[in-house]
Amino acid sequence: MKSSFLTRWKGLGAFAATETRVQFHEYLSIASSILVQVIFIFFMWLLAPRSLLPFALVGSTVFSAFVIGERILDEAAYIRIDHKLNELYHASPMSPESYFLGMGLGVLAAYMPPMVFLVGMANWVHPFTVSAALVLLGALIGVWAFAASLGYALSTLFKDMRAIWPYATLIFNLFGVLPPVFYPLYIFPAALQPVALVMPPSAAAALVMHTLNLLSLSTGEVVLAALSIIVETLAIFLFTVYWARRFSRER
Amino acid sequence: MVALGDGLRSPQQVSGEVALKASNVRKVYRSRGNPPVEALRDLSLSVTKGQRVAILGRNGAGKTTFLKIASTLLMPTSGEVSIFSMDVIKNPEMVRPYIAVVPQEGKPFYHLTPREQVYTYLLTRGFSKETAKSRADTVLTQMGLAESADRLSVTLSGGQQQRTMVATVLATEAPLMFLDEPTLGMDPFARRSVWDALRELTRQGSTILLTTHYLDEAESLSHRVYIVDRGKIVAEGTSDELKRKVGGTIRVTLKGQRGLTETFAPFGHCISSDDALHIITEPDRVSEILTLALKKGLSTTVGPVTLEEAFLKLVGGSIEDEI
Repeated sequence: MKSSFLTRWKGLGAFAATETRVQFHEYLSIASSILVQVIFIFFMWLLAPRSLLPFALVGSTVFSAFVIGERILDEAAYIRIDHKLNELYHASPMSPESYFLGMGLGVLAAYMPPMVFLVGMANWVHPFTVSAALVLLGALIGVWAFAASLGYALSTLFKDMRAIWPYATLIFNLFGVLPPVFYPLYIFPAALQPVALVMPPSAAAALVMHTLNLLSLSTGEVVLAALSIIVETLAIFLFTVYWARRFSRER
Repeated sequence: MVALGDGLRSPQQVSGEVALKASNVRKVYRSRGNPPVEALRDLSLSVTKGQRVAILGRNGAGKTTFLKIASTLLMPTSGEVSIFSMDVIKNPEMVRPYIAVVPQEGKPFYHLTPREQVYTYLLTRGFSKETAKSRADTVLTQMGLAESADRLSVTLSGGQQQRTMVATVLATEAPLMFLDEPTLGMDPFARRSVWDALRELTRQGSTILLTTHYLDEAESLSHRVYIVDRGKIVAEGTSDELKRKVGGTIRVTLKGQRGLTETFAPFGHCISSDDALHIITEPDRVSEILTLALKKGLSTTVGPVTLEEAFLKLVGGSIEDEI
């Protein structure tokens, strides 16, 4: 059983390293991955009370994790539609789940430096406690895994790259820009706050802000946010692993 | 000699004489709002270990569909396929370590060099760094890519990119390799380097199944040829066996003369293609045909029967025609 589980992930590290190597050639794309976040922080600094700046900085790190995960939507579709490299890798000992996760981890590794820069900025403006750092780490992993799984699963539905762009924009705005990721939950309409707490990016941002004492959540809200991230991420990750296996052979 | 890592399969590790066996494979593509398309109709074939086998057919004949099914990338509607006696339909994961695939019109990662492409692919298959490096060097030289091995693939020509894809797969030395139109877009020299590499691999025990619509490729490279048309195998055999089915050994071609079939029918079997009339005959009738052609002032060429004539006769159309 143990060996079967290990075999299932064979090639993961090598494929992740391949993907990182590919991504590193697109350094401008890596650098611009935090452009929206930096602009948002700039506007917050310019227009909003200074007390909201830590919210924007924490939100930008969470948003970065989401954006990096979501990049797999474009990447997986591009590799499959334009290069047909999925066939090269699927008809090989490397498992389909290693292909999916390797691609995600490879992109994550390449896009990590700008995100680390934002984490550093957030820590500089509002120093993290150990518990807040751990919550932030867990939240970033959860949000990235959620976005990467969602991105990969969706990428399999398209046969034309141009058809993807509106969906990518929709997801980007629906999960990252609209809900309270960059700004405090209490500014969001009260009736919609529970909705924000079940969406992983805004739930993650709220949890980290709560741990940093920037925001006060009730125990129920903390439980709801934490469970949302864990359950939804696990569910979509497991579904995507299943879907990656199924999709490795077209019907 | 570098040892292969755990889980890797070499041609020497597979037993039995049959590399691939397909029985009554049928594939129907269904999509909403469109009538179903029957791409394969009870296709059966067998590939012997260590052979180079070509599936020849026009665009849309079903070659790629079969290759995808056999290489675990597509589910058939019905039928059975086995590779080294392992069930491809039920156990694709068991089969995959034994195979490698060059996809049709596949492209390498644009932001990797050919050397990185081959090297990293071998690593994902579980090869050690030393083996991957040494095999990458060897295969890239073999494919004539030594000079461009360290340039980003995005800067290479289409033919060089295609060679990189072929090199990536050949470097695996997998027991069974599938190549879908492997020399598409390559110049004649590059095609020959691919052919040489494939010959070398089969000498070492690998088996090659390729699709092509280059008749010369099928003829000079393959131990056995399957001609596929509209999802069915219409003929199979060695190139010589297929050519014998044409009914003669010499071809006399009258350029731009499709309408003279009745005039030349007494001399042999007449086949019309897009722009010519081919008369398949025996050597002793050639002088009569040439005399008549000269009297009529026709431009003629004479040569041995090739797979092209066999294809024309067996399929009833040129390989360049779309289905």
